[in-house]
Amino acid sequence: MAQEEVKKAISGEYKLGFEIDIEQDTVPPGLNEDVIRFISAKKNEPEWMTNLRLKAYNIWKNMEEPHWAKVEYEPIDYQAISYFSAPKKPPSSLDEVDPKILEAYEKLGIPLEEQKALQGIAVDAVVDSVSVKTTFREELQKHGIIFCSISEAIRDYPELVQKYMFSVVPMNDNFFAALNSAVFTDGTFVYIPKGVRCPMELSTYFRINAINTGQFERTLIIADEGSYVSYNEGCSAPMRDENQLHAAVVELIALKDAEIKYSTIQNWYPGDETGKGGIYNFVTKRGLCEGENSKISWTQVETGSAITWKYPSCILKGDNSVGEFYSVAVTTLAQQADTGTKMIHLGKNTSSTIISKGISAMKGQNTYRGLVKIGANAKGARNYSECDSLLIGSECGAHTFPYLEDKNALGQIEHEATTTKISEEQLFYLRQRGINEEDAVSMIVHGFCKEVFSQLPMEYAVEARALLNLTLEGSVG
Amino acid sequence: MKLEILNAMSEQEIIEALGTRKEKIEIARKLKELKLPHKKSEKYRYYDIESFLHKEITLPKSGFEAKEHKNALIIENAKVIAIPKQEGVEVTFKEFSDVASNHFDSLYYLSHLLNQKAIVIRISKDSNFEIKHIVSSNEFLSYRIVLFVDSNVKAKVYESFEYCGDNLDRLLYGIDAIIARDASLDFIKNQTLNFSVEPIATNYFKLDSNATCNFLTFDFTSKSGLNIFKAELKEHAHFDATHLIYGTNSAKIGTISEIEHTEKSAKSNQDARAILNEKARGIFDALIRVTKEGIYASAHQNSKAILLNSGAYMASKPQLEIYIDDLEASHGSTTGQLDKTQLFYLRSRGINEVEARKMLILAFANSAISKIEDETIFNRVQIDFEKAYYGDTKLDCIKTCHECEENILKG
Amino acid sequence: MSKILEIKNLKAKIGNKEILKGLNLDLEEGKVHAIMGPNGAGKSTLSKAIVGHFDVEVTDGEILYKGKNIVDWEPEERALEGIFLSFQHPVEIPGVNNAYFLRTAVNAKRKHEGKEELNAAEFLRKMRSLANELGLKPELLNRSLNEGFSGGEKKRNEVLQMMMLEPNLVILDEIDSGLDIDALRAVSEGINKMKDGKRSFLVITHYSRILDYIKPDYIHVLKDGKIVKTAGAELVKELEEKGYSEFEEK
Repeated sequence: MAQEEVKKAISGEYKLGFEIDIEQDTVPPGLNEDVIRFISAKKNEPEWMTNLRLKAYNIWKNMEEPHWAKVEYEPIDYQAISYFSAPKKPPSSLDEVDPKILEAYEKLGIPLEEQKALQGIAVDAVVDSVSVKTTFREELQKHGIIFCSISEAIRDYPELVQKYMFSVVPMNDNFFAALNSAVFTDGTFVYIPKGVRCPMELSTYFRINAINTGQFERTLIIADEGSYVSYNEGCSAPMRDENQLHAAVVELIALKDAEIKYSTIQNWYPGDETGKGGIYNFVTKRGLCEGENSKISWTQVETGSAITWKYPSCILKGDNSVGEFYSVAVTTLAQQADTGTKMIHLGKNTSSTIISKGISAMKGQNTYRGLVKIGANAKGARNYSECDSLLIGSECGAHTFPYLEDKNALGQIEHEATTTKISEEQLFYLRQRGINEEDAVSMIVHGFCKEVFSQLPMEYAVEARALLNLTLEGSVG
Repeated sequence: MKLEILNAMSEQEIIEALGTRKEKIEIARKLKELKLPHKKSEKYRYYDIESFLHKEITLPKSGFEAKEHKNALIIENAKVIAIPKQEGVEVTFKEFSDVASNHFDSLYYLSHLLNQKAIVIRISKDSNFEIKHIVSSNEFLSYRIVLFVDSNVKAKVYESFEYCGDNLDRLLYGIDAIIARDASLDFIKNQTLNFSVEPIATNYFKLDSNATCNFLTFDFTSKSGLNIFKAELKEHAHFDATHLIYGTNSAKIGTISEIEHTEKSAKSNQDARAILNEKARGIFDALIRVTKEGIYASAHQNSKAILLNSGAYMASKPQLEIYIDDLEASHGSTTGQLDKTQLFYLRSRGINEVEARKMLILAFANSAISKIEDETIFNRVQIDFEKAYYGDTKLDCIKTCHECEENILKG
Repeated sequence: MSKILEIKNLKAKIGNKEILKGLNLDLEEGKVHAIMGPNGAGKSTLSKAIVGHFDVEVTDGEILYKGKNIVDWEPEERALEGIFLSFQHPVEIPGVNNAYFLRTAVNAKRKHEGKEELNAAEFLRKMRSLANELGLKPELLNRSLNEGFSGGEKKRNEVLQMMMLEPNLVILDEIDSGLDIDALRAVSEGINKMKDGKRSFLVITHYSRILDYIKPDYIHVLKDGKIVKTAGAELVKELEEKGYSEFEEK
């Protein structure tokens, strides 16, 4: 099946059907091998990459969209989505960036220049699907750190990409990962060499802009032996009416003694109070603690999207490796989130911590779904999970579905979960001291999330708090 | 026939294939809607359900040839052979179609379709009796029991099992317990299995307002089996479930359940304990759902498992599905070893490690067994556990109750 | 005078932190030794090291009990040979019957000593009369071990175990913490009764209050993982006046 088509592709038979004009900046909606060839050609990719994409496409064609998550949405017509769009001219410096895009950044509170200057954060901003600008590259290069778009990495560091891409999230992993593997348009690549501690927070801001454009980022972060990196991903989308599909893939690899900290703030357009217009976010994020004593830590603050389907996971393969998952997921309006993590303990004395805080307001439905698996050889593995849900209002829902599988007598899993509303007594206490109801609720909600926020880098935590206030505005009372 | 072929049939064809009355078409429709489980079905993913459904069977027949008996309903190979002689306990064998309208388990509907008649027990006065299952047949067996507990009545039922033979087949049975307003039912199931029978019990508890039900299950076994139930709670109803399993060999055992709060102010509490030895697998897949109408609910779930060696496996899925904000809900689940500090305490008093471990395991089991109020049944279950765990019982010296102390001191 | 316990250059850590840093201490047979010291000095670590608690890793040095190095012994071996620790915070063990536990422990010790097991009646009589002396409510004997016991009840129960097990070396870790005056009196009377000229006591305490009830023969000051001073009972007064800061290692 797929093999044959790959062969065909390699032999060039399909080239005859290559009808899309490479000079175009977008492809018409729909997905077929030609579209994939177009994307690959647009990005000047080597043939091996084109072939991998085609292979993924053929796997995806035979897969079915999964429906086990506790989310409901209108069927997605994958042939109605446009899989590529790029700004007119890729600029070579900041000056060439479309002022409108820069303005949009301002509105989102992400003044690129200011951040560059004030915060010392290297920013790899993605608008739609193409890297617009990468900064601080020189500083990073001094340490031998590679921080570039995935397209560049495919061209410039093929050995690293070939070795690690698809090694943590195989292209056949799931429906959305297969789709992403076929059509990913851009994303970030990070490589931290042996023994290097990345001197700054690495950040990328994504923004969804063009109408009817699916977003398919692909991120690959490799922390070589004894290295450390903290990577921040923040997303924001302007108000819009069409449902948008987003199916990103993130792969993290931590070798011996390496540590990766991956923080996300996600505030894409959630749709209106009937659920119309929001973004569908089907993300596959997974980290592999490959070496001994390695550590991967996921922190996420999810306030946006109409539908969220996301389980940042850790495969704890190296002995003594550590996985962490800290999450705040807020659903208001008619948002639905089915999110959590997977901690797969394979190595000895591996440990994992899961702290998940779900907040449901208005008609929001929030589901924690998490898997903790201690393999038969994971002697001394330990997990601690705490999943708390806070309900605000009588029409929302909070659901907790942990899957806890222990196959080792010397392993240990502890899971605790509570579901509560804001206590009348706490609320009264604060109001009696003169704090108005909305502020009081906000105070309690922030307290509820504190454990997770404290995991975020400082400037991110500030942003997360502001975002939480904004999100819950008007949902109280 | 093989049961799995039912999946390809229309509801009429199911009715015909199983020789069931046409009035059960709604039940057939439910079966069709839910489909018989396969190995990837969410609720059965940790249990080898396919082998249960794959086997060739002849359609089972239940029957009723009851003679009076002092205090037990005895069902031998799906035939009632004795009924309890007790005022206010009436046992009949008759058609029953008023099944749960939204049970999650297709095997529940299947067993209702397989049985033209059910053993219907109406309890109209406070009573206390035993239901004893005897299995010695190597045929596939199926039957259904319906328990009606009338308003204001307190009923206590102890369910026990006796298996004889080596080549026993499967047993698909279950109870529909309809508990009226202000009534209460204590239902204790004690199943110790060391024969090759695979029992699947698929139950339904319906609690009217202010009704109470204590459901305790004890399975100490080397063979697989499941305990499936759905409970529906109306206003101020109170449902308390306790499960203790001790598994050896390569038994796959456990509980698959759904407790639903359908009206306000209901309470539910579920406490599951598992001790797993050798290659045994413990399953706890339990959902508590609080619907929009279930305000002021109190819903708690707890699962604790101890793995005694590598090869043992615990799959725990405590789940909460909550649709309102005014309630109190929590769950917890721990899997792993014995508590290090407790173990050390015992050892620091000179008790060797093996003995100290045994004491702690017994203590772990006792926390569930001690919820049995009736002393005779408590002793029976405790002896069964010790036999299963130690291969022997040391009961006399485990509990130093006041009375036996006095006897010891006198004698 | 023969020594029951000799600790030589003991170094021990909890996790990655070194707590005992070359501690030396000799305990004489039949005497009451008190160890006093500020919080965090290593008092509890010392008691845990002597009984072989899993938290403590001995990295260097020796603990000689009756002349034998017990560092590698299992906790139950140490117990059977006569070392008893009254825990600062006795753990609750739901489901383990208190009396059943105690009988198992007593008989394990008797068996170890080559004696016959106590029969149920002998055991019960002894346990009840001692419990009565200690003012331990009889119903607690049939409850789960320490479960739901008050602070005072837990400590009385520890002393009851000590009296039943008749150890050679008794370590009392903060025996007076959380005790009201009546409980303190009952507990220390029980302990004093056990003084027979052969049995040794190691009283670990932060405050001197307990030493008004259990008179020590020697006082050792433990600071920063080492014994920094050893003297007679008169040292208590000095400590009360000056506090621990006066004592530096010499």
